[in-house]
Amino acid sequence: MKEQAVAISGAPGKGFFQALFLLFLMAVPAWAATGCDLNSPDRDVPRLFPESTRYRSNYVSLRADQLRSVVARLGESFRVLYDPLNVPYTIYEIYNGSEKVGYIHGVNQKGQFGGIQVFVALDLAGRIKSFYIQKMSGQWAGKFRDTEFGRRFLGISLKDFDSFDPVSGKGSGRLAKIRNPAPEMETDFYGVLRALKKNLILMDELVYSTKRQNP
Amino acid sequence: MISPFQIAYKNLLRDRVRTLLTLGGIMLASWVLVSLLGFNRGYERALDHDIDNMGYQLMVMAKGCPYEAATLMLQGGTGLRYIERSMVDSISREPEVEQATPILMQAYFDPNKGESGGIAGYFGVEAATFPAMKLFYRFRKGGWFQNENAAEVVMGFEAAELEQREVGDMTLVPEKNVQLKVVGILERTGTQDDGTIFVPLKTLQNISETDKITTIGIRVKKGADVAGLEGRLYQLPNVQVVSFSQVKQTIMTLVSTTRVMVFSIAVIALLIAMAGVANTVLMSVVERLQEIGVLKTMGAMPSDIFLLVWTETLILCTGGGIAGVGLAFAFARGADALARRVLPYAPKGGLVEIDLKLALLTIGVVGVVGLLSGAYPAWKAGRVRPLETIRSAV
Repeated sequence: MKEQAVAISGAPGKGFFQALFLLFLMAVPAWAATGCDLNSPDRDVPRLFPESTRYRSNYVSLRADQLRSVVARLGESFRVLYDPLNVPYTIYEIYNGSEKVGYIHGVNQKGQFGGIQVFVALDLAGRIKSFYIQKMSGQWAGKFRDTEFGRRFLGISLKDFDSFDPVSGKGSGRLAKIRNPAPEMETDFYGVLRALKKNLILMDELVYSTKRQNP
Repeated sequence: MISPFQIAYKNLLRDRVRTLLTLGGIMLASWVLVSLLGFNRGYERALDHDIDNMGYQLMVMAKGCPYEAATLMLQGGTGLRYIERSMVDSISREPEVEQATPILMQAYFDPNKGESGGIAGYFGVEAATFPAMKLFYRFRKGGWFQNENAAEVVMGFEAAELEQREVGDMTLVPEKNVQLKVVGILERTGTQDDGTIFVPLKTLQNISETDKITTIGIRVKKGADVAGLEGRLYQLPNVQVVSFSQVKQTIMTLVSTTRVMVFSIAVIALLIAMAGVANTVLMSVVERLQEIGVLKTMGAMPSDIFLLVWTETLILCTGGGIAGVGLAFAFARGADALARRVLPYAPKGGLVEIDLKLALLTIGVVGVVGLLSGAYPAWKAGRVRPLETIRSAV
């Protein structure tokens, strides 16, 4: 859009505006495909990972064996609740100077009125440092995107899901203590928890398990 | 018996570095040339495809709408200008018009998109007339709305993918908090419609609390006088007309500046490559004057020597040309991506279209240009006086 704005300041003719209009028509709804990227990584990364000085984007896909493993860990019969799984993933590697300090990763999850995009910033041990819902549809979606709700997930790791099932909503531990901030959107509340579990399992498969195998 | 081709080939192998550098120059020039010829063809075809896929040749909208295009994006549609729905009927009565369809574009601010919110755009379309304009649409699942007042949406492929919607799911119009049911998801079209959410016109009018529209799409009868119709439409009060043939011309004009610049670079690259070939072959001739003299004393005619040197040029140019075309095929996607970055508007689809015909044409052009540049060194070699060259070596 920058080019268009610059051109407007010239001496535009009728044809130019017609072209501009067409450009608009063709450009406005051009949304991204299924992958889950930060809308504005240069702005979002320092916010989610304050000690970061730079980041590197890695685009990865699950191998067949990894996909099988993820499905098995999420529960075969519940796969539909965790879809989409077999999509490209963007993992942001976070650095402080030359030292890698963590990761940021997001997933898409189906919500009641639209897609939910759940991002987490993780330290090198896989503990959540920041929790961010980039996109959510619904009248009370703001309550889920509130920083206070996000703060409840700090320090949580994949291990916390050992004692909590986000499909039935039953279990114990820190996750069980997190209350739904908008009871009107219960589907989305569990959708967020499922997205979080999916996110952490994916990161375990794509990053942490590899690190354990090749320290 | 060794053929002239083998002799020429062996001569080129004597100074491999020089030969490789010359080949590299020709290769790069051919690469640029074939990519540009491919772009020339691909861009226009992609633009035609985009415009054909609009479904209509003319659009009528309230005056000032091009400015409002930016408004729609930046301010969520506040301050949009509208036209009366009744205008569709009067336009439909024009003899050149095959069909006219009313469209209402609306945008609502969604605070839950990204860090600082985003815009959700909706296209209000009439189920009775709009689908007939977009005959190339295919449904992945479901179909069009049940009626003009239905609380339903049809989603483009990417919109459905992004929102994780399937037929039967619900969506919510931000700001208004109106729930709409997904009744159809379109197959990917490769156009802007892939990201569009279509709502029945009256439903969107109700949501937006207006009975007006923003745009009228007009499909003109085959062979009709579009310019005449356009002129009459301009007489309508407070509207402006967008003709897609004019839009195409305007975009092509915008792009032509870039094209001329890049073509100039290609021509310069070709000239440099020509000079490189001439220099390489000339140096090779000068280094072999004694040999050429010996060949002549053994009975070689000037035309034999000329052909021998020309064959070297031909090998260099054809080899470089083929390598350049190979590179162009290999990096066509990269060239496409680069063109998209630098152009003011890049239509959907492949911008760089290289086929066998174009590849052969390029190799032919490079070959002819190479032969021209090799003519002087070959002529000079043919005119060598055998006794003088042999004597100079003693």
